[in-house]
Amino acid sequence: MTMNRRDFLKVSTGASGSLILAVSIPGCASIQTGFEPESGEWKPDVWLELSRDDDIVFTLARVEMGQGAYTGLTTLIAEELDVDPARIIVKFAPVAPEYRNPLFGLQLTGASTSLATSWKPLREAGASARQMLVLAAARVWEVNASDCTTQDGRVVHPNGIDSLRYGQLVELADKEVIRGDVALKPKSEWKYIGRQAGKLDAHAKVTGKAVYGIDVELPDMVYAVMTRSPRHGGVAKDFNRRDVIGLPGVQDAFITERGVAVVANSYWQARKAQQALQVDWDMTGALDTSTEQVLEGYRRAASDDPGVKERTEGSVNKAAEQAEKVVEAEYEQPYLAHATMEPMNATAWYHDGQMEVWAPTQAPDLGRIAAARHSDLSPGDVTIHTTFLGGGFGRRLTQDYIEEAAAVAYQLKVPVKLIWSREEDTRHGFLRPAMLHRMKGSLAEGQLTGWQHQIVGPQILDWYVRNAAPAQYPWAPKFLYDTLGKVGLMAEGIATPKDISAIEGAVGYPYQVPNISVRHTHTDPGVPITWWRSVGYSHNGFAVETFMDELAHESGEDPVQFRQRMLDSEPRHREVLERAARLAGWGESAPEGRARGMALFKSFGTYVAQVVEAGVENGEIKVYKVTCSVDCGQVVNPRIVEDQIAGGILFGLTAALYGEINFDQGEIRQSNFHDYRLLQLHQAPKVVVDIVDSNAEPTGVGEPGVPPVIPALGNALFALTGKRQRRLPLTA
Amino acid sequence: MAFSLTVNGHRHTVDVDPDTPLLWVVRDEIGLKGTKFGCGAGLCGACTVHVNGQPARSCSTPIELVDGADITTIEGLETEGRLHPLQQAWIDEGVPQCGYCQSGQIMTAAHLLANNASPSRDEIVTAMTGNLCRCGTYARIVAAVEAVAGGVGQYEPAPEDA
Repeated sequence: MTMNRRDFLKVSTGASGSLILAVSIPGCASIQTGFEPESGEWKPDVWLELSRDDDIVFTLARVEMGQGAYTGLTTLIAEELDVDPARIIVKFAPVAPEYRNPLFGLQLTGASTSLATSWKPLREAGASARQMLVLAAARVWEVNASDCTTQDGRVVHPNGIDSLRYGQLVELADKEVIRGDVALKPKSEWKYIGRQAGKLDAHAKVTGKAVYGIDVELPDMVYAVMTRSPRHGGVAKDFNRRDVIGLPGVQDAFITERGVAVVANSYWQARKAQQALQVDWDMTGALDTSTEQVLEGYRRAASDDPGVKERTEGSVNKAAEQAEKVVEAEYEQPYLAHATMEPMNATAWYHDGQMEVWAPTQAPDLGRIAAARHSDLSPGDVTIHTTFLGGGFGRRLTQDYIEEAAAVAYQLKVPVKLIWSREEDTRHGFLRPAMLHRMKGSLAEGQLTGWQHQIVGPQILDWYVRNAAPAQYPWAPKFLYDTLGKVGLMAEGIATPKDISAIEGAVGYPYQVPNISVRHTHTDPGVPITWWRSVGYSHNGFAVETFMDELAHESGEDPVQFRQRMLDSEPRHREVLERAARLAGWGESAPEGRARGMALFKSFGTYVAQVVEAGVENGEIKVYKVTCSVDCGQVVNPRIVEDQIAGGILFGLTAALYGEINFDQGEIRQSNFHDYRLLQLHQAPKVVVDIVDSNAEPTGVGEPGVPPVIPALGNALFALTGKRQRRLPLTA
Repeated sequence: MAFSLTVNGHRHTVDVDPDTPLLWVVRDEIGLKGTKFGCGAGLCGACTVHVNGQPARSCSTPIELVDGADITTIEGLETEGRLHPLQQAWIDEGVPQCGYCQSGQIMTAAHLLANNASPSRDEIVTAMTGNLCRCGTYARIVAAVEAVAGGVGQYEPAPEDA
């Protein structure tokens, strides 16, 4: 097979499995590749740009929000290109079909997929470019290409002495054609994968030079704040514009679809003027619920509707009839906010019939739809400039903050930066849904013979499809957007990917039990929701692994052994379980006043077992140590794997100990870090991360650390106090 | 109203409302974006700068209270193009994840070390615990401070037998 640049591009972006929703659009390639004589730059593919001056630029198609894609993906391409990753200049990708995440047909960063989906295409891109440079050098020297080697940005002559810089070869390399498949380096020759320990963005981040969304500065920029309905769904009818407009620095104030915008010369002036605002809201149809009502509604729904069968094996009813003991439990989880350290913000500028948006977004192509919706522009008129993200955790997959900045900028026609306060960020975000789980287990002759799990709550696609469906068809006229959203939902599981946000981690129940039933009772109380670090796994992990602990206890067996026995056909589960138990000293007695609990949970393809050692001090839960074994396949950057898993553990502990967003008559009670607490340094336990050495395809690490720590802590507290923890946050 | 400040050794005069927080003066009037807005209430520490050598939450410090003061921000830690030892330790240890809180973390640590060259583990924990990090970089923060303080660089917050 002969492969040229363009074919290669198709192969690498098209080898993406069956989940692509977007149809292939003829002529949709929007990134020009090839050699540009004037600039002296060669683009062998959509990711790389090599110049005559030996600058190497890598276009990062995923965003960097702390998860390490900036370093990890650069390492992949650097390895095969054979250059030091630190030499590569990284730039964030513009919106283009070539940069979509192949798993979703959207240009989004989430679901711990960045490394897994880039593992092959980026290495192939680096290898192809390198191969073309080698072919060019071989032609210059009139030697066999296979006798040439490369070394840190140079092609080396077979004589081992002469060499040519990549920059000297770019123009010639462009004319080369690769015949046959491009060979990837064997693991034994890797210089950077598995070894690269430094973080390529660390220097920018410790000197204050990294540009986050909130740092964008444009000439003559003004600042906007948005006053939103205190209850979701309320619509601004009128406000005291005359009182506000005369305040110092205020330029304008007006009603938008999202609320009342106040625009001033400085952020502080806009914020102060906001205090004087009195808005008359139309609350017809606005959210009017409380968290207690939501959960009560879930309980009713659970009893009225057994839900959609998501997994059925054998007969759980028969198992229950024949059981010696039937154990039942109900678990509750609250709404959770993301609390990224960088509050929501975006900067937009409408000029010359075009809109430019600078934003810390996890989904630039959805951001483009969001901006187009709030102007008379089409998505093609909107340019999204992605910045560093001060945390994402799923919150920035929803583009409401871009809608707001775009709506204001469209009206004002000057650059506008719109910043949310922390209080607004806590009260007006999209949340991890509250969920209810009903569990039933059948025990007979010391065996678990039946496993029933009913998940009760909403699913995220209902809220997400609004901008996601049009983003997949950016050429569709805007009047079709709502239709696209509805079609997307109707076709869910057929033409569009099935929404597994409510059931993930429950349908994949790994233990060998003869009778299994997993059902989802779909009920949506109207509270805005979105993806939250580890999504459905975050609540299913707690339900599944707490109930496993309950069943182990009921059958009088050690929780590790109880699980181990049911994992004969799951060697990777077993291995992390056994390693974590061994490392944590499972079976040995814990220090006085402490107890251990464990949980085992696979999410996003990654296997994680954790043992938590906890106690209660002065009436508060104290976590001393978390021991974690993780199998995420081939490791690209050991330090980032460790950081993501450890960071996920602290993220999960924050939820387990404090996490709770509560509604009172439609309004959120929490507001800032004093009542929506984050784990602090002095509360952080010792975390030991043990990584399984593996040659398997790499899987994600950004989220899998989160789910197991919550049940593991609850299980430790049960071991300590005998009181079962069935509701989050946990109580001492 | 006009106020004057010395920021990282450079004198600036700004004309802003007297209650304007120092944070927004530093960021938007003087143009130094390294200092971050996190909570606006002094709860997270992302906005930490030094005012006359003392760490301060610039989001809750009105400019009128610091008229004439000497301010140091993250951009002022480098001397003659050389990184502050803490910044270098932060890179070596690979502390930052999203990085947003790290300016405030480093400014808090810089004050600690300026006043106590060899802080104990407890002193580091006490000094740093007011700075929140949502990514969970705490263990590496302690290790980086200890690396500069001449410590062992391996963070074990709760002794096993405590």
